[in-house]
Amino acid sequence: MATALPTPTTFSPDAPSLSSILPETTPGVGAAGTSPGPSAAGPAKQAVVLDVRNLKTYFYTYDGVVKALDGVSFKIRRGETVGMVGETGCGKSVTAFSVTRLISDPPGRIVGGTILYRGANVLRGIDLEAKFKPMKGSNRVKVRRSFRRVKANQERMMAVRGGGIGMIFQEPTSAMNPIFSVSNQLGEALLLHRGDEIIDAMLRATPHAPERRAVFEELVEAVRSGQPTETVRAIAKKVGDVLHSPSMATQAFYTTREAIASGRDPLPVLERNLRRLRLGRVQRSYLIQQRRLIALQNELKVSYMQEMRDGTFDHGERRSIRRRRLATRYRGGWLQIRGIRRHARRPLDEETFWRSVGLLEGIAIANPVQVARSYPHELSGGMIQRVMIAMALSANPDILLADEPTTALDVTIQAQILELMRDLKERVGTATLFITHDLAVIAEVAERVCVMYAGQVVETAPVRDLFRQPLHPYSQGLLASIPRVDQPDKQLSSIKGSVPNLITPPTGCRFHPRCAYAMPICREQRPPTTVEGVEHTVACFLYKGQVAVE
Amino acid sequence: MQMWVYIVRRTLLLIPIIIGVMTITFILISALPTGLRCVSYFPIPRSGDIGPTGPCPGNPTQSNCPNPWWTHCVSVLGLNNPVPLQWATYMYNSLTFNWGTVNLNSYLSTHTEYTFMGGEPVTSALAQVLPYTLELATISLLLILVVSIPLGNLSAANRNRPIDQASRVMSFSGYALAPFLLGSLLLMAFVILIGASNGWHSLTCAASPTYLEFYHSWPANQCFPGGNPPSWLANNIVSSPTGFPTVDAAYHGQWAIAADTLIRLILPAFVIAYGSIAGLLRYVRNSMLEVMNLDFVRTARAKGVPEAIVINRHAGRNSLNVTITVLGLTFATFISGFPVTETVFGLTGVGRLLALSINIPFDYGIVFGSVLLFTYLVVAANIIVDVLYAYLDPRVRLG
Amino acid sequence: MESTLTATTEETTATTPGRGRRPNPHVAQFLRTFYYLRRNGLAMFGLGVIIALILIALYALTLPIPTQSLAFYCSTNGASTCVPGTPICTYPQGVTAPGPNCYQTPVAGGVSFFPSIIPPTFDLSHFSGGPLPLGSLTIDPSHNAFFNLYDGMLRGSDWSLIISLSIVLTGAAIGAIVGAVAGTFGGLIDEVLMRLVDIFLSIPAILFVIVIIAVLQVSPVFGTFDARIGLLVIGFVVVWWPFYARIVRGQVLVVREQKYVEAARACGAGRGRIILRHILPNSVYPVFIQVSLDVGTIPLFVGTLVFLGFAVIPTSVGSGIFPEWGSITAVAVTPLIGLLTTCQFGQCIIPWWQFFFPGFALFMFAISVNFLSDGLRDALDPRLRR
Repeated sequence: MATALPTPTTFSPDAPSLSSILPETTPGVGAAGTSPGPSAAGPAKQAVVLDVRNLKTYFYTYDGVVKALDGVSFKIRRGETVGMVGETGCGKSVTAFSVTRLISDPPGRIVGGTILYRGANVLRGIDLEAKFKPMKGSNRVKVRRSFRRVKANQERMMAVRGGGIGMIFQEPTSAMNPIFSVSNQLGEALLLHRGDEIIDAMLRATPHAPERRAVFEELVEAVRSGQPTETVRAIAKKVGDVLHSPSMATQAFYTTREAIASGRDPLPVLERNLRRLRLGRVQRSYLIQQRRLIALQNELKVSYMQEMRDGTFDHGERRSIRRRRLATRYRGGWLQIRGIRRHARRPLDEETFWRSVGLLEGIAIANPVQVARSYPHELSGGMIQRVMIAMALSANPDILLADEPTTALDVTIQAQILELMRDLKERVGTATLFITHDLAVIAEVAERVCVMYAGQVVETAPVRDLFRQPLHPYSQGLLASIPRVDQPDKQLSSIKGSVPNLITPPTGCRFHPRCAYAMPICREQRPPTTVEGVEHTVACFLYKGQVAVE
Repeated sequence: MQMWVYIVRRTLLLIPIIIGVMTITFILISALPTGLRCVSYFPIPRSGDIGPTGPCPGNPTQSNCPNPWWTHCVSVLGLNNPVPLQWATYMYNSLTFNWGTVNLNSYLSTHTEYTFMGGEPVTSALAQVLPYTLELATISLLLILVVSIPLGNLSAANRNRPIDQASRVMSFSGYALAPFLLGSLLLMAFVILIGASNGWHSLTCAASPTYLEFYHSWPANQCFPGGNPPSWLANNIVSSPTGFPTVDAAYHGQWAIAADTLIRLILPAFVIAYGSIAGLLRYVRNSMLEVMNLDFVRTARAKGVPEAIVINRHAGRNSLNVTITVLGLTFATFISGFPVTETVFGLTGVGRLLALSINIPFDYGIVFGSVLLFTYLVVAANIIVDVLYAYLDPRVRLG
Repeated sequence: MESTLTATTEETTATTPGRGRRPNPHVAQFLRTFYYLRRNGLAMFGLGVIIALILIALYALTLPIPTQSLAFYCSTNGASTCVPGTPICTYPQGVTAPGPNCYQTPVAGGVSFFPSIIPPTFDLSHFSGGPLPLGSLTIDPSHNAFFNLYDGMLRGSDWSLIISLSIVLTGAAIGAIVGAVAGTFGGLIDEVLMRLVDIFLSIPAILFVIVIIAVLQVSPVFGTFDARIGLLVIGFVVVWWPFYARIVRGQVLVVREQKYVEAARACGAGRGRIILRHILPNSVYPVFIQVSLDVGTIPLFVGTLVFLGFAVIPTSVGSGIFPEWGSITAVAVTPLIGLLTTCQFGQCIIPWWQFFFPGFALFMFAISVNFLSDGLRDALDPRLRR
């Protein structure tokens, strides 16, 4: 099958450890919590992080009801990479959006199913959001939505998105906000999910530590004498340790190099960098206020997760959180007057800037300071996609939904991105749902594969088993249609027919009009999902295995 | 650097526009009959003949000799010169602010609030009344921005809900209510309400909103806040430093008068703003709806950003760029509301001057001068809008 | 968590997929647009009002226009000659109206409409001046010439429609041609034409109209031109065409880059065919929307002009009031300001009906046109499609 890619040269050997991506303290809600160990070697029964059961998503349009997803079920375990393959229009992206409830509400709606993320039903409350009334004489449906409920549910999803389930999208060039700089957007993600840890670090920092002078000189000497980057980085880390601030390490590293390169004396530069750690009273109060707000936000997230888990809703607790939040904001109002907001916020902005530089380092970007300062329109697609991956992973989510991240990029960049994702997966241990239509990519990246066709999962298997022994006729057709370089005279084969219209999909098994093995029963009933091997399930009447238990 | 290039390029594009506008006014002025132009510049001769021919000096019964008044006028105004020369002269005069003089037969001197007479240069006449218009314009613009942008964002975020319907009604009625009708009705309503509640025996005070008018022709002291006019005002209006009534009153420490003037400007500002809010509100809403469908909004939501921040910060700032461009385009329509509103409320401004000058006697100096002035204002506004746009959008700022 | 929807969908999936009757795409597009329009309550309301207005205007066309230059509607007393059975009486030229029940109707510029088929059913002979119901409301009696408000509003409906339609259609035609030419040919032609459009658009619209009409009124070329309405139309058309030119050019630029134009050129279609068959039909949608908007707002501008002092009437009648909504409203609103300053409080009767009814008619016309055009815009815009 796909040959191994050449040894990657993109990932420089002196890349720093990804500790800047990992949280230092045990984070709050929505993070992995336990140690990010390497992915399971075999089909060991690790904890299931995402359990999608019988997901149905319909789109209500002028032409009728598009049944985009009609009973999709799959599971993702901790740390594993699941690939999702299918043609264009089979519902892969819709699945990813449904999991985080990003389906744009008119015209789409999730009408059925359960999505359990770590035991919490993400689709809690969705049945109360809308009422359906079919219109006579056409295949249209009138949907009456309750905006209040829709809004409340969307607000609740804030607890899951980002910190629990991260997403990266298909078109990187339009995925970032064009008017904010890269560091601004990375900083936003950092503050949302790791703000408490960042502010704690800032408050704990010791800018007046007397040992700093010695370490500064050591750093300057190392850079001047042209020591290898590894050593310089280690010394910079020592600077960070001395000052109790990891972002100072990054800042010291880059500012020293820049100062020496432009011929200036680096020591005053380093001293000037310390200014942001020396917090005035106004700035300290601002930081404490923000810390309190973040803590309250986390409490709210816990309460939301609780609600999604078992449906209990503690009015009193919510009210108390809201009241405390209002009180904190109100009390912090004097800060706006006294310390004009930009002045109060400056240390936080600088801290997040250098933290985002550290993030970009972790993604092996060559000149992170420049990239952090630049705007999205100045960067190439591959670079932006890397930034998006950094942004998604900085929140340390349990699951990363990658919706065709490499489709819009050319092949060489694709190779770099895939290598990056593989490396990150090993180090950080996030489970991934990798959606693509490219089987070669799946072979590279995935451990298990789901094959989708017209809104239904037709086969699930470990990747080797799928490539060695595809069971479903559609998977067989897909694999057979890959051109073989070693058989140049063989005619290209394809699956006859075309993708069905999802407004009036075929009855029974949706693949039966194109299937070479179609039987009369295929037209009448939808085939159940049966287990045919170790972790290998298929939905086809050709196989008479045991019906899979949800 | 890129920003300055962009700004300079946009400004250079405005030069042909200014030349074009002046050419159009030149064409229109040339279409005026010579008799009209002469009558407004030169005093009518004692004989009363204002035609090209008049009675001959030697033979009174004949009347086809050239009228000396006419020939004098034609030679001074250069009406027989070749057209390109006339055009060039007109251009030169316009650019050096030599815009002619007020019609000699103007009735404006009967209006006590105007201190200029026939024969004075048009520029000084316009300069006297321009500050009032500018004050009104400032308050109007503030009102427009403060109402239309937040309301447009809210409408887009809560599509088809009550607030969207309400803003829709407001924007539609803004198109449908002519400013003269709206202004008159509101003025009537407010005056009757205020008069009824204050028990004034006459509506003169409430209904004479003109700063200069009621200071010049005040019948009784009770119209002033506080009772008596301030001394600096009673002597000489022109001693005020800037010409802006509110600023001047504040400069002299008369806060009550300054506040009073501002309050009197709120209603006309609202009437002018109403029409512009109508257009802008719909546009803000539609551009917000477009922006909210873009990819980066979805990314922000997927990051876990709270919905309010997604709408206000991510989507709102982006739609602001487009809104500002449209604001520049609607400036021309915004200015159109001035003549009517100033006439309805009796404010001394350029618009009212224009309205008074187009009736007989047709004072073409003031008419064309004020049209040129308004056009320059529109052009200046467009430049400011371009600068703002360049500043706000990093794609332009950085290239 | 199954919803009741499942049962319904199962029914519809029982049909075989694929082949079906393919409807005519134009009809399908029209039906789809109308479907979206129907869902918009405001647009339907606007459509209803406009249809009612058109019917009223058509009815008003059937009202008799007196062919004499001076004609009086009057009660049965005091007339020198009355044609029995009709309320039309004749007086010698120059004689003022004898009493409060007689009023003069101006001649409508020499245009003759077809004679009355349905006689006016409103008998005006029993009312006198003063605050009265709609039937015989009169303008301030001290005015030289005045007419029945009801009558004026009826005739005003079709005059408003005629004036706005002629202005808008002419302006749209000129603007569309200029915009299409600029958009398709590009290059120098585009630059020059767009500069011209920008120049026209920089001058505020009302001011431009004022100036043009003022100059045209006074200049020897048009000064004695009898049809003042023609002046009005010319003035507005000169000011209004740039809006359409800009819209059409923008749309042509977008359409020109579409893939189907490229495909047509790749198939070997000539330039003219591409312009006629592909570019033009797809570029005129925004013009419809703008046309519908402008038809409603032009009468407001006419009213504003009259308010500022332009007399928009044919010169052969005395100082009458032209039956056009904007004109009636403006004339009725002007004395209000004076009333406010000269009236002792509580001692004046403010004739609110004189400006309220025509103003309300203007308002309803403009707002329903706005509803309709907004609904059209939402229905035609593919991005807002639901």
